[in-house]
Amino acid sequence: MFKIPKGKEVPLGCVTPAPVGEQPMMITGNWREFRPLLEPEKCDLCMNCIVFCPDACFQLDDAEEKVVLNEKYCKGCNICINECAPGALTAAYELDFDDGVVRLDKPF
Amino acid sequence: MASKVHQVTVWARGVVQDKEGRDIANGLARAAGQEGKFTQSFDNYVDLPDRVNVPLRKYARISDEEIEERYEYENLHPEVVIVADATIVKGIDVLRGMEKGGTLVVATDRRPEDILKFIPNRDLLGKIVCVDAKAICGDRTVDFSGSEGGVDSVGIGQGISAPILGALARGSELVKLDHLDAVVKNKDALHKGHEQAVVKTLN
Repeated sequence: MFKIPKGKEVPLGCVTPAPVGEQPMMITGNWREFRPLLEPEKCDLCMNCIVFCPDACFQLDDAEEKVVLNEKYCKGCNICINECAPGALTAAYELDFDDGVVRLDKPF
Repeated sequence: MASKVHQVTVWARGVVQDKEGRDIANGLARAAGQEGKFTQSFDNYVDLPDRVNVPLRKYARISDEEIEERYEYENLHPEVVIVADATIVKGIDVLRGMEKGGTLVVATDRRPEDILKFIPNRDLLGKIVCVDAKAICGDRTVDFSGSEGGVDSVGIGQGISAPILGALARGSELVKLDHLDAVVKNKDALHKGHEQAVVKTLN
């Protein structure tokens, strides 16, 4: 009888281990063509970006009173740029930056 | 011994470039077929159903003899890699499986050097071809016609696939411009892509 070692059991179909903070099995940062670029002096902390981001990429840094973007999961939908009330976010072409994208071997 | 099967992988963005990616693979295979070669072209089963902007793959195979691996649905060792959206080179190892001396075709307004700095394994490349496809025929989603086996009423090569195929004919020996001319609909864009392509030979 074939025995599966404990802790190595195959999960049920479509079930992935519950992420504690981030989901490392679904990194979507390389879907991005344009990234949102924040101008801190224009930002009035209305937090529209935090509410509207479908991937919860924006987080409020309480200590420094600013919003920070998690580029690992931002897929460049640019909804935040549409919703930003003071217009502090602008779209920037991804090839203008040297970093910020997680380079994956396979698409998924 | 069977002759070498030339594998071509096309990378495009999900949904918005689905037809463009498919047109590149299909157009290449049909043009090579006119030369009397044996060809295959197909979608990547793993990437389907695609979502907006996901990096997705389309494949083409060209050989002088009948292609025997009918049921292998992934190009594991691409000789030519075509990237329809330049930002894909940042997030994906597009040269995975390539043997030394391969060709990369990128649709971008940047110079080849600007693209190469994003590719850590660039020493595999023998040639890089850049073509500003969006400037030649505009950034537009042509149609979803023909997707998932439906009837393609638009035809091959109405959008940015035409200049990319022209650039491919310039940088690679796999297909000739005359044969592409008989397949691709937007012939003006095809020839402009062939003329304006920037070819840089490496190594």
